[in-house]
Amino acid sequence: MTHLAVPAPVKTSAKQRSGLRVGQRAFVFGAMTPLMAYMLFFSLLPMIWAVTLGFFDYSPTRAGSGFLGLGGANPFVGLDNYRAMFAETQPARVFRLAVVNTFTFALIVLPLNLAITLPLAVLIESVHDRLKGLFRAIYFLPTISSAVAVAVMWGYLYHPQQGLLNTLIKLVGLTPPKAWLTDPRAVYFGVPLAMIAVIIAYVWQDFGYNLVIFIAALQGIPHEIRDAARVDGANPWQEFWNITLPLLKPTLLFVCVLTMLSSLQVFVIFQVMTNGGPRDQTTPLVMSIYENAFRYQNMGWAAAIAMILLLIILTFTLIQFRLLRTDWEY
Amino acid sequence: MTTLLPSATSPLRPRPLSPRRVFTRSAAYTVLLLGVAVTLVPFIWVLLTSLKPASEIVKVPPTFFPQEWTLQSYQTIFKDPKVPLARFYFNSLFVAGSRVAITLFTSSLAGYIFAKYKFWGKNAAFAFILVQLMIHFQIVMIPAYLILVKLGLIDSLWGLIIPSMVDAFGIFLMRQFIESIPGELMDAARIDGASEFGIYWRIVLPQLGPALATLGIFTFMGTWNDYLWPLIVITTHERRTLPLLLTWYNSQHGTRYDLTMAASILVLLPVLVAYVLFQRWIVRGVALTGFK
Repeated sequence: MTHLAVPAPVKTSAKQRSGLRVGQRAFVFGAMTPLMAYMLFFSLLPMIWAVTLGFFDYSPTRAGSGFLGLGGANPFVGLDNYRAMFAETQPARVFRLAVVNTFTFALIVLPLNLAITLPLAVLIESVHDRLKGLFRAIYFLPTISSAVAVAVMWGYLYHPQQGLLNTLIKLVGLTPPKAWLTDPRAVYFGVPLAMIAVIIAYVWQDFGYNLVIFIAALQGIPHEIRDAARVDGANPWQEFWNITLPLLKPTLLFVCVLTMLSSLQVFVIFQVMTNGGPRDQTTPLVMSIYENAFRYQNMGWAAAIAMILLLIILTFTLIQFRLLRTDWEY
Repeated sequence: MTTLLPSATSPLRPRPLSPRRVFTRSAAYTVLLLGVAVTLVPFIWVLLTSLKPASEIVKVPPTFFPQEWTLQSYQTIFKDPKVPLARFYFNSLFVAGSRVAITLFTSSLAGYIFAKYKFWGKNAAFAFILVQLMIHFQIVMIPAYLILVKLGLIDSLWGLIIPSMVDAFGIFLMRQFIESIPGELMDAARIDGASEFGIYWRIVLPQLGPALATLGIFTFMGTWNDYLWPLIVITTHERRTLPLLLTWYNSQHGTRYDLTMAASILVLLPVLVAYVLFQRWIVRGVALTGFK
């Protein structure tokens, strides 16, 4: 434990209290000034600008007047962009559909992901150490792969005639769907088939991440606790349900929020696999922002949508902070 | 036979091998191997498809193993008359390499200062960095684009590098790591007359190996796989990075699956190699930092 050598930090902080020496001050000032200036320009400015844009009818195709081109041909419209979200217009309908799509996606991905990763982690924990590493390495492979490549791969797997998936379905004697990604009428339990197809591909790519976190958490549980339960005659199921799961609670909460946050911001896999279709059934919020800002050049409206996404994300981030403050120790 | 191996994790194991226990063990391995198949088969299918001739691709039902093995698709991509493939590899490597080098430098420098110095405005500056962790790129991509337009960096590889030279998460990670390094070494160097930057460069940096490796690999993979920002910034074909090239192939040669699958393999390959080499760092990094 290196930090048992305590005196040094204490000495440093005593020195710090009496103020930095000239050389130290020059170093801190010289390094931090450009770094902070950079962050003000490339982080703080975009944050403020993003909020501001939502109150303007801004398009980069019009040369506005005033600061940052906000004004003149790009007028201030107050809350009009936000009011327009409730209107009966085509863009507003697509926006509301995008909100529904984003939540549908996130709320299916989360339980599906947990239902796969948690049991799989327990299984991997139970096997021999050398195999454990191998399984973990293989399962993590899709996670490090380019999302674009995964989307292209799965687009081909879903191909109605030449795709592997339909071939396998036919092989076992079932009738596969005519088109996984393009049939707007194929809806199961209120969820479009194209959405289901993308969810499967997304979970395939993403599950390794939560798996690794669960395995690490399982390894952190002291063996004595499980051994004690075993001595008391608990079967593996009771051991999991009454010992492992309660001890995993903090990790479970962390993983839930993180999975939720990242699936709310999904874009690439939808853009490449379905491009939002059929009939906007698979348009998530980020695609809605992207399309409005960079295809229709309607950046004020797109910025307002981004603010709604920010609100949703911040809500979940705050929940995360509340949950992570709870007791971690066991 | 693997089911009979004792587990090293618990002193109580192995339990007696009752028939029931043998059954649950084999069931566990069956599920795990099924999972391996589901994980690997898409990759294998893509690789095999990329090795088929174009005429075999259109067959219904498709073949799993190529009837005729060929490197045609790769040759087509490599010999593209307009822009050679090396160009796109260079673009991706240039952007990813620059971002790794710059991010490692700025993160370790700022992390060191936050960990070991006290200065005016430190708490406010650090709070600002924590706020940045909550602001995701998708929220600020519109003004980020407009800033790039004003700087004249649209459709330039520099436009992919310059806006992300300082990484809030990297600073945070480095600060956590450097705080655990004892200050004695730095004090000793100071007494020996080393400059403050010299202390950072020669004393602190060499001790950051694991942290630099973790941050470097994640930055590399994140940049290599990045799609949304290059999609917004880059418009000229020869400045595309590999993921952009892949979607371009996908839209240009939508039915030539031999080509798109070969292009997918070419995009996946460098990251797979990095993964095989640094697997330990990557998996441990995820487990330790919760980095996504």
